[in-house]
Amino acid sequence: MPPSIHPVDLIIALRDKHLTPAIVFLTSRRACDEAMQAFDHSRILLPPPRQEAIAAVLEKVIAQYPSIAEHPLIPTVQRIGVAAHHAGHLPSWKIAVEELMRHGCLDAVFATTTLAAGVDFPARTVIITQSSIRKSRDFMDLTIGEVQQIAGRAGRRGKDLVGFAIVTPSPYIDLNVLTKGFTGHPEAINSQFLISYPMVLNLLKAHPLDQIQPILAKSFAQFQLNQRAETLERKLDELGDRMEPFGPRVCTDWITEWHTFDQVRRQKSHRTPVRRHEPPEVAARFHFLTPGRVVGFGRNRGIVLRQYRSKGQKSPMITALRVGGGITESPASTVTEVSDRVLDCVDAPVYPWCTPESVEELLRHLEELPGRLPELPILVPKDDEPIPDAIVQTLGDFACPTCPSRSACQRDYPLAAKLRQEQHRHVKSIQALRTSLWHRFQEKIDVLQQFGYLTATAHLTDNGEWARLIRIDHSLLITELLRADAFNGADPAMLAAVMSSIAHDDDRPGAFPRVSSGLASLLGQVRKLATSLSPHEDPPLLRADIAAVTERWIGDPGLTWIGLCKSTTMAEGDIYRLLARTLEFLSQLHTLKATHPGLADTASRAIALLRRGVLEELP
Amino acid sequence: MTTEELEQLLAQQPIALLHRLARGRVQRHFRAGKRRLIEVLLRHSAENRAGFESDLVTLIGERQVRPALPSPQTPAARKPKSPSPARQSMHKSAEPESHELAITLSSWLEGLGVPPPKSFVADAWQEEAIAKLKEGDVVVSVPTGSGKTYVAVEAARRAIAENRTVIYTSPLKALSNTKYTEFSKIFGADQVGILTGDRRDNGQAPLLIMTTEILRNLLYDAGGGEIDVRLDTLGLVILDESQYIADPERGVVWEETIIFCPSQARMLLLSASIGNPHDIAEWITSIRPTPCHLVRHSVRTVPLRAGYLHPNGKLAPLFRTVGIPHGHPSHLHPEAKRLFAQYEDETLPSGRRR
Ligand SMILES: Nc1ncnc2c1ncn2[C@@H]1O[C@H](COP(=O)(O)OP(=O)(O)O)[C@@H](O)[C@H]1O
Ligand SMILES: [Mg+2]
Repeated sequence: MPPSIHPVDLIIALRDKHLTPAIVFLTSRRACDEAMQAFDHSRILLPPPRQEAIAAVLEKVIAQYPSIAEHPLIPTVQRIGVAAHHAGHLPSWKIAVEELMRHGCLDAVFATTTLAAGVDFPARTVIITQSSIRKSRDFMDLTIGEVQQIAGRAGRRGKDLVGFAIVTPSPYIDLNVLTKGFTGHPEAINSQFLISYPMVLNLLKAHPLDQIQPILAKSFAQFQLNQRAETLERKLDELGDRMEPFGPRVCTDWITEWHTFDQVRRQKSHRTPVRRHEPPEVAARFHFLTPGRVVGFGRNRGIVLRQYRSKGQKSPMITALRVGGGITESPASTVTEVSDRVLDCVDAPVYPWCTPESVEELLRHLEELPGRLPELPILVPKDDEPIPDAIVQTLGDFACPTCPSRSACQRDYPLAAKLRQEQHRHVKSIQALRTSLWHRFQEKIDVLQQFGYLTATAHLTDNGEWARLIRIDHSLLITELLRADAFNGADPAMLAAVMSSIAHDDDRPGAFPRVSSGLASLLGQVRKLATSLSPHEDPPLLRADIAAVTERWIGDPGLTWIGLCKSTTMAEGDIYRLLARTLEFLSQLHTLKATHPGLADTASRAIALLRRGVLEELP
Repeated sequence: MTTEELEQLLAQQPIALLHRLARGRVQRHFRAGKRRLIEVLLRHSAENRAGFESDLVTLIGERQVRPALPSPQTPAARKPKSPSPARQSMHKSAEPESHELAITLSSWLEGLGVPPPKSFVADAWQEEAIAKLKEGDVVVSVPTGSGKTYVAVEAARRAIAENRTVIYTSPLKALSNTKYTEFSKIFGADQVGILTGDRRDNGQAPLLIMTTEILRNLLYDAGGGEIDVRLDTLGLVILDESQYIADPERGVVWEETIIFCPSQARMLLLSASIGNPHDIAEWITSIRPTPCHLVRHSVRTVPLRAGYLHPNGKLAPLFRTVGIPHGHPSHLHPEAKRLFAQYEDETLPSGRRR
């Protein structure tokens, strides 16, 4: 048995059951093209009147879009009444196919699912041959929403009493995905809020920094984050209720007290060194190095902002705010003194681990602290000699052994500690949910300040004023190129070629024309800059062969579309899209006429040269 | 068992058993087709062959105790099937085996055809969406093919009649072009304009079509003080295919557009069916001056039926019922089930080799 139905058989079966017209969704463009070739010698011809109807419709479309007059698929379309419609085709061809479908002239269209929303024409029947689609280099199962979007093309209002969605298997199809898709509820959709450099610049152009947070709060992203935060808050309330019996006892914070006591006791009784290979005094001290704690480093002083363990060695580390405002990462062992002072600090999920206001406040306090501070007595368990409870008692740190609520504490500790840990986790998560957009925004501000698009007070610099007009992917690379005067002296072809290599994000291999040496060296320069910017912006592919296609089209105004297509293995739909995106990028450069008149002029000359033939047919 | 034997044994098992076998062994096993699942299971069995084989044998034993589904075929029966019958005869014999619960192919195909011509009467939900725009923003979430364009056209017509500018956006340039043609026919060519990055056709028209990115840029320019298009007379913004708000790369553009849309303009969001349209409506209500009304339904105007077409040309209903059994993905038609099991068996690597 063949792994999937033969296209000719498919059309015969559909005609036989009166299931035409149909849209046949196939996995790839290639599959669509091969399906069309399968009809080359087929004799399942349309009756002459229908062939004539197709010719009439095509004639009208061709009158508007001459580029498709010689389209190689026309004979098959006319004879058999089937067509292919995918991203490898020119928009004008796709319009022709859509027009034919609208007039009910065709029996079937072979299309790809990559853009289910891009196929905006219905049919009586939809044929589904796959359960997954390629999304950015990976095959992903169709979601319920996608299955319904695809199946939804079946059944034309006013033309069909019922619509049919028919699955026909091909290797690797998973029927479960499709049956679930047909019968299920579409998934909830989620915000995909990305904060880009142009967004930051444009927002700061129109609003002062202190109004930004309320604006971000208006996003759907924040709406959904709040929903999650509210769920956590409800959980937090529940936890609070469950914590009720574990309120203050003889000591206010009995859970911490018991925890420390218990640990010390265990370490003693097992006589085992601490789990990690750190000196016992460091381990004991580490518990107390919590955010806000004032500590001494030799002659210096600082405030703990966060404690953590290093990635590799898992050694105890702290982030500390030092006198003078520096923020350092140091091993806990460098702490020589743990004071009994803990200052208020509002912690945050990202560096510097507490809010900027908090940092300022802490710094002020730190500078005002008295010269000597009482030290916290920290009990360091000795490895070799267990410390009797009596000694613990005399040290005055732990009242537990003789405390009246000792047995209650012992009994309740495991549950209470677990609940409290959960509380802490929720509080942290809620904070992160409420502030994450703002933090992401601030990260972008930092970068823009570093590159001089924003002042220290987050106002637009002169560079920022024009840079905000570049609102396309890789905007940082483009604005940095302009600042480096990279296009000084570049002709329209070179400028457009570089822009298209920045715009093109498809890594499909192919054989393409070679670039001129001038363009090659310019691309080298762009590549170097893109690499240096990679910590702040993903570098584009910058394919030289892609640049060459654009360079040829603009550099040689006599070159015909067919000539251009022949010089590369790219599908004409891809070439069209490449040049259309290049147009978009160039038109953004054109908006810089006030600050970069030379460049804007080159861009507009490139646009004029680029828009000819096929590229002039559509807006 | 040799690897070959193991592979054969696996190949004979129904996919459900393979899934049970894969549980805890293979990640995302329920996503793989049978062929792929067997490949992965074989690779996995290398690590603990004995445990794997004994589990397999246990599961097979369990199955044989229970009443059998379509019985696992013996290797002999799985030889390449008899030469396929001629195409013509295949279509005649496409009736499924009778089954008490499941419908027949002919009743599945029944009712197929063209409805008698009818004068246009707007649906209640269409009227509702148009009416609610008087009071505030509207989100429409209905199945594909329901008639969202009608709502867009009528809403635009009313806004234009009040001398307001209307902006209609779509996610794709190709869709914009289609709508440009369509709307020009409806409203007259002088009433419709289209804006792209470098071109402006009839930019002074009351109904402007553009991609959502272009509108977002206009709104940024307005925010920066440079009014470009007449945003002060803007009365209505229509965002078609607004489920794109969940697009990983471009979704943010829809959010920016909604956040910065001038407050005097009404918003009309048209979306295919999504799971949480009330979230969208609630969100918009929370950030815009007027309440946002949600219009949704999930019933398709033209009923849909699902079928299964075997590579040999045999057609069967996919489900036991004529319509789609919502909420019951496993109500498969026995014929479709049998054919698909046969397909999986026959397209297995071992089945091919012989
Ligand atoms: N009330 C109605 N009665 C009959 N046909 C309608 C009605 N509303 C819309 N249609 C038709 O339904 C078809 C699908 O409409 P469309 O707006 O493209 O769907 P959607 O955008 O929801 O996917 C169109 O051919 C349209 O003319
Ligand atoms: Mg639509």
